[in-house]
Amino acid sequence: MQLRYVYSELGQGLRRNLTMHLAVILTLVVSLTLVGIGLLFQQQATRAAEHFGNQLQITVYLCRLNDSNPVCPNPVTEAQKAEIEAVVAENPEVADYRFESGEVALEKAKELYGAELFSGDNPALTAEDMPQTIWITLEDPEQYEGISSAVQGLDGVSRVRDLREQVGPILTTITKMRTYALGTAGLLVLAALLLVANTIRLAAFARRKEIGIMRLVGASTLYIALPFLLEALVTALVSVALAGGALAAFLHFAIGDLASNLRFVPWIGWDEFWVAAAAVGILGPVLTLLPTLVLTRKYLKV
Amino acid sequence: MIRFEKVTKTYPGHPHPALDNVSVDVEKGEFVFLVGSSGSGKSTFLRLVLREYRPTQGRVYVAGKEINRLAGWKVPRLRRDIGTVFQDFRLLPNKTVTENVAFALQVIGKSRKEIKDVVPETLELVGLSGKGDRMPDELSGGEQQRVAVARAFVNRPMILIADEPTGNLDPTTSVGIMKLLDRINRTGTTVVMATHDAGIVDQMRKRVIELENGHVVRDQAQGVYGHQN
Repeated sequence: MQLRYVYSELGQGLRRNLTMHLAVILTLVVSLTLVGIGLLFQQQATRAAEHFGNQLQITVYLCRLNDSNPVCPNPVTEAQKAEIEAVVAENPEVADYRFESGEVALEKAKELYGAELFSGDNPALTAEDMPQTIWITLEDPEQYEGISSAVQGLDGVSRVRDLREQVGPILTTITKMRTYALGTAGLLVLAALLLVANTIRLAAFARRKEIGIMRLVGASTLYIALPFLLEALVTALVSVALAGGALAAFLHFAIGDLASNLRFVPWIGWDEFWVAAAAVGILGPVLTLLPTLVLTRKYLKV
Repeated sequence: MIRFEKVTKTYPGHPHPALDNVSVDVEKGEFVFLVGSSGSGKSTFLRLVLREYRPTQGRVYVAGKEINRLAGWKVPRLRRDIGTVFQDFRLLPNKTVTENVAFALQVIGKSRKEIKDVVPETLELVGLSGKGDRMPDELSGGEQQRVAVARAFVNRPMILIADEPTGNLDPTTSVGIMKLLDRINRTGTTVVMATHDAGIVDQMRKRVIELENGHVVRDQAQGVYGHQN
């Protein structure tokens, strides 16, 4: 296939519709960035929930070695654990539960405060210092007094933590921000789609003579649509690049700032950025190519 | 080369069919005039040949293909076998004569070398050698139509369709275009020409198919424009 015409048309098309392309790019950049931010918040919420348990959970701390709590003269025994488990399993307020070992608790601490603190000759804490825990998922977050008091007095239980009051607002805020970001992104995506559609309509109109002749002399539909598709791809790639930059800046400045101030929450990092960037990288071209494919079929019908 | 079998074409929203039970057979290498008043169905006939539409009823065969069954993606290939010329020339104003003719080959993927060989040859055939670098607006109407004919013929199609090619031209110039179409016809290309130009039809003495309200009212081997009693 001779692509000389296609490339010259691509350049011409980009220049001819420059303002429309800029409008598409700007709208796309903002919407893609918001989608990315929404995805970052989503991952942040997941991470925080993994760490603290979600709002439906309470945590039962079992007695550990040298427990500061006077009800814990000795670390919890296997027999006590079995008894506690039986109580938990029978309780109707409990949807699900799982045990977490001291080793896992230590890993979580390492994640928050850095591994150096826990290694070497004189570590700040070892796995034995960390309490074993039972993470209980409730049927209903409001119904927790029963299980809480049932477990509280048992031998081998140090304390019952209900983190909902502290973690709840953080999780709620993160979830809200995700919803706002994705909601706004949704509206802007719609605007971007309409702009793309309008751009194609204008471009098809500007090229109607060429297109008419191409159809008559038997140019393939793909060949006729190719300049349009390439234009769409170029605007998408520019938008994705800019949105990726904006997301990186968001992670570096906004999240970085939060992370240095609120250290008790595990914050997202570059791994999560790449997930969001990949999603944006796929979404951008889809958002421009899909309407282009649909509309070129309509406007350039053979 | 072109066969209509009991073809009816009704447009949505129009109660009367544009073509009504039309059966026509055009052999390879024939020259056919399609005459009739405006709205008689000439353009619909040509558009069915080009597979811009499908017939509502009946079958249309073009260059051995039944266009009713022809898949959409195969239509471009069909059109490469058909050259088309219009009353309004339809040249690209920002391209030279050579570029306009070459465009038809470029967009169907012909090689640069082939284009370089074939385009000047075709321009010579239509009598425009030496004018390849002109822009369309520097040419007379007749010359512009020659460019359009060159573009339609440059890919050596089996069929040439001309929709009122002399409609915008004065009689003398029209004769030139008709001579050109005749020459193309002599190379074996089937020519179907819709026209209102009685003088030309009478002069050429070719087959005449007359349409009226979507019906074929006359199909005459060496006809003239008006009715012969």
